[in-house]
Amino acid sequence: MTFAAALTVLLLLGGVIVALLEGSWPAFAKFGFGFLVTESWNPVTEQFGALSPIAGTLITSFIAMLIGVPISIGIAIFLTEICPIWLRRPIGIAIELLAGIPSIIYGIWGLFVFAPVMQRHVQPFLINAFSGVPVLENLFAGPPYGIGILTASLILAIMVLPFITAVTRDVFETVPPVLKEAAYGLGCTKWEVIRNVMLPYTRVGVVGGVMLGLGRALGETMAVTFVIGNAHKIHASVLGPGTTISATIANEFTEAVGDIYTASLVALGLILFVITFIVLAAARLMLLRMNVKGA
Amino acid sequence: MNIETMERPMQIAEAVKAKVSIENLAFYYGDSKALKNINLTLYDRKVTAFIGPSGCGKSTLLRVLNRIYEMYPRQRAEGKVMVDGADILDPGQDLNMLRAKIGMVFQKPTPFPMSIYENIAFGVRLYERLSKEEMDERVESALRKAALWEEVKDKLSSTGLGLSGGQQQRLCIARTIAVRPEIILLDEPCSALDPISTAKIEELIDELKEEYTIVIVTHNMQQAARTSDYTAFMYLGELIEFGDTKRMFTHPEKQQTQDYITGRFG
Repeated sequence: MTFAAALTVLLLLGGVIVALLEGSWPAFAKFGFGFLVTESWNPVTEQFGALSPIAGTLITSFIAMLIGVPISIGIAIFLTEICPIWLRRPIGIAIELLAGIPSIIYGIWGLFVFAPVMQRHVQPFLINAFSGVPVLENLFAGPPYGIGILTASLILAIMVLPFITAVTRDVFETVPPVLKEAAYGLGCTKWEVIRNVMLPYTRVGVVGGVMLGLGRALGETMAVTFVIGNAHKIHASVLGPGTTISATIANEFTEAVGDIYTASLVALGLILFVITFIVLAAARLMLLRMNVKGA
Repeated sequence: MNIETMERPMQIAEAVKAKVSIENLAFYYGDSKALKNINLTLYDRKVTAFIGPSGCGKSTLLRVLNRIYEMYPRQRAEGKVMVDGADILDPGQDLNMLRAKIGMVFQKPTPFPMSIYENIAFGVRLYERLSKEEMDERVESALRKAALWEEVKDKLSSTGLGLSGGQQQRLCIARTIAVRPEIILLDEPCSALDPISTAKIEELIDELKEEYTIVIVTHNMQQAARTSDYTAFMYLGELIEFGDTKRMFTHPEKQQTQDYITGRFG
């Protein structure tokens, strides 16, 4: 009975894969491998390429992790090691509430509150600050639209923050007090204990938390759709509008006419599935290596 | 008999030097008082054992000596603990330097999540900048002193967590002595170990007292009798009796001490 229940999971997973493969088949049959590396997405001529959404998905998630991970781990360290006890619960609850906000709310907030702030203050500042600096100049160029890749990344960073924080805080709390005592007893300062004892001790859990956040960032749809600009174009600048896989699907599925258009969107879904799978597999591999090295 | 008891403190004062003197020490967990008016002297390069039933405050007393209790809010100590003439309870005391001088080994082995070599080098690096050769030497000598070198010399780069319990505990002792402390605090170091590992650690204590002042908290009366030069018997947060270990175990002065060591309670 329980065996059958467990088997259902595998059947469901298989079913999803088969459905995705079948649905996307016309697109792959027509565009072949080129689907993955073509930037143009033209419903009128029915020429579709997934490069722009793939790039947008990877870039926004990367920037979101770049910003979100250090802040989340910092908050978790603060909560477990530094924060006075009476303040722990309020902050902890606030973070859990943050995790519970529906993504559509983040989207609306992003579009009506956050994007204007980006447009008026943050983006002009970035453009000015980096003008004349090689490489960075191109990364922060162009008109300040407000919406765009960077805005979407920041919203994602805010969204993954409570997840990573909650998980890392929980794993930090599993560090045995006596291990910390031993480190303090050797004369370590707080930071030495955190860096050399707590983080190595909890690395598996921390990586797990980061992966959970990354999974969410890769697949996040509504909030991103609101603020990313939904342009099938790859800009050198992170201020430019772009799109992600899930944003494209959400935006265009209702208006997709013709078999190829629909099949291309399903193919995007398949690609997202593969990307997520690769990320999880990479995380597993990384953990395996760390364990071998540590063992 | 009377003359004998009069004479003993005189002998002690002549033969050995005081390292730590605890004066009017009280300790609180929040509002509850765990130590009451403790006055006690620990002698240089001698082993002092703290014995007494669970909850008598012997571990608490040990934890005052390196101020590890300060990790936790609502725990505080009052009184004086003079180490080499300076009060370590002084708020101005540098805690890291204090803990470099007074090392601690815990009830359960606590290897850090790193290699055997790093477990030892890590602590040394907090205080000293050594070349690779000097560090190798320091690690080897610490492991030799802790009687662990022969067992681990071929796997220094593998994790400390892979060792047996007894080996892990000796690794923790090696880690403590690598920093070159003057005093070593042992908090029931053998309670999680098998008899063979326990014997090894007791042997080790015997060798280490040539160089270090050692304080050991133990539940095991035979262990206290075997390893220590002085014994302090504590009960309900008070120091009941302190003296030469042989005398304490043969002619205790207080009835409570007598009852405890003969197993009538505890």
